[in-house]
Amino acid sequence: MNRALKATLMPALIAVVAALGVTGWWIYRGEQPGELTLYFHPFVGPKPLVLNQSSYANPGGVGRFKVRDFQFFLSNIRLVSPTGAFVEPDSYHLVRFDGEEPGFVIVLHQVPRRKYQRIEFGIGVDPTANRSLQQRGDLDPNSRMAWNWEVGYKFVLFEGTLHRGETNDPLVYHVGFAENYRPMSIELHRDVQHIRPARLDFRVDLLRLFQGATNIDMAALPSVKFDRGDAALLGGNFAGMISLMRSDAAGRSGRTR
Amino acid sequence: MRLGVAAVAAFIVVFFAAIAGGCHKTRQAATPLADFSAPFVFGRFQVPADNPLTLEAVELGRRLFYDPRLSANGKVSCSTCHIQRLAFTDGRKTSVGVSGKPLDFNSMSVANLLWGPQHFFWNGRAPTLEEQTLVPLQHPDEMGQDLGRLVRELAGDARYRKLFETAYGEISPSAVTRALASFERTLISCNSRYDQFLRGEIKLSEQEELGRKLFMAHPDVKVSLRGANCIDCHSQFLTGGSSARYDGFSNNGLDDEAHLHPGLQAVTHNPAHRGLFKVPSLRNIDLTAPYMHDGRFNTLEEVLDHYDSGIRNSSTLSPLIVEADNRGAAAAGRISLHLTPGEKTAIIAFLHTLTDRDFVTAERFSDPFVSK
Repeated sequence: MNRALKATLMPALIAVVAALGVTGWWIYRGEQPGELTLYFHPFVGPKPLVLNQSSYANPGGVGRFKVRDFQFFLSNIRLVSPTGAFVEPDSYHLVRFDGEEPGFVIVLHQVPRRKYQRIEFGIGVDPTANRSLQQRGDLDPNSRMAWNWEVGYKFVLFEGTLHRGETNDPLVYHVGFAENYRPMSIELHRDVQHIRPARLDFRVDLLRLFQGATNIDMAALPSVKFDRGDAALLGGNFAGMISLMRSDAAGRSGRTR
Repeated sequence: MRLGVAAVAAFIVVFFAAIAGGCHKTRQAATPLADFSAPFVFGRFQVPADNPLTLEAVELGRRLFYDPRLSANGKVSCSTCHIQRLAFTDGRKTSVGVSGKPLDFNSMSVANLLWGPQHFFWNGRAPTLEEQTLVPLQHPDEMGQDLGRLVRELAGDARYRKLFETAYGEISPSAVTRALASFERTLISCNSRYDQFLRGEIKLSEQEELGRKLFMAHPDVKVSLRGANCIDCHSQFLTGGSSARYDGFSNNGLDDEAHLHPGLQAVTHNPAHRGLFKVPSLRNIDLTAPYMHDGRFNTLEEVLDHYDSGIRNSSTLSPLIVEADNRGAAAAGRISLHLTPGEKTAIIAFLHTLTDRDFVTAERFSDPFVSK
């Protein structure tokens, strides 16, 4: 082989090998399990939820209310595809909106790259975990979401104040009990695999607790605690509280990272 | 040319080997605490990765805790305001240190610190136990000690030199804080009658059981559930504030709007945190009088009267306190639990079951300078 030929072939060969390597790495990386971010944007009807500051109209009657605390358990996250499901281990998240972010972020790790059809999760704590003192995920029997070990967890907590003229009434909604655990299934209609960054945006609407199967006037029902009938009124509305957002709408309302 | 490459490669290998060797200290390793355990119901806890619990660190921390050399005048140690037989409180309204000037806050019991809010002091201003220890050490009214001077004094003591060397490899302000924090983390109170009840070893008396049920319930007239809503802030097993974020801080109605102290707001600058203070553990509450962040109540009866009918309203008062009423429909403007005298006595009887004699007498927590 003469020198000139060698000088031309060698760089070409190196370039081909390098290209193959990069492509292979790219394909390999694309196949690797990755992270999927679930972002929950809090709203009160059309308005973003701002704790302690903004006030909102009582959906079922007179007066305006402020929200001091709003948090709930979101459990047992599963992503379902025709070829199998991704099941998050110890999947108990306390979704809350008092942090630095305007919304709440759950990051799912090691999610296999597949075409997922739907996401499933429960609002509340499933009966088995609700009866247990085991600390899994965010479950903590010494937390403010625990009632006591004979009763289990509050699934949804909303505390605030209702202002009507000169009167300020405390609002205390602690909704639990096994029968109010609400499994949800939301169609994704898209391919999680190709979203960059891999992220799903959800709308959480506090107002929907009071609107839906039953419409509730906060003035008439300012607190819900251990009365199972009252708890079931809000529990029956749980399903409407969370919905998938279109990505463009999410981009407008949430901070992109 | 080839030789050159080999030389460079050899140099790189030797260079990194030298760095690695230089970083490796040859000192006697500290002994991890092998038998460290805590009740299951207390839940998870975390020890900082850079300060693992070791026998030597805990022993060192115990000595430092009881050593008055930690103060400017050589008379005040941590144990001056945290006395074991009082569950590591001092019985005073607010504590007094080297300056003799009463401090702003009541001495808080030092027990079960691995759980509950990981924000220390009544207003949560220290994010770790290690940082917490630095404050009283240097505060001119508490111990008023200069850290450089302290390190020099400790270095003059052969016993300390050996303990520091084994535990941390150095005598430094950081090692002092880490040792103190290690000892404090071992101060676990878990053998009160309530603990024995939780373990199924004993039964509570009828009155204590009534008190327990009232403690553990937020009242709900609709289902005829009477309660004293203690559990809304004092968690069911630890009886202290919750650990997540600032959940373990509350405005419990001690002062009206005009007299509200900054509290947690001084740390977070969040107006919603004005007047919120750390919810303390109620373990050994019978021994830790006087009560509240400013020690304003002398007896548990006064505390119960406050929660029952002495609540002062303010903008950051917990709605759970305003709403809690055993007669229902929070009788127009007047905030009251409407407990009966018998119920208050029962709650106090339950609070007495939180006293842990082992904790307040255990030799491993006691003054190592006193020969027994």
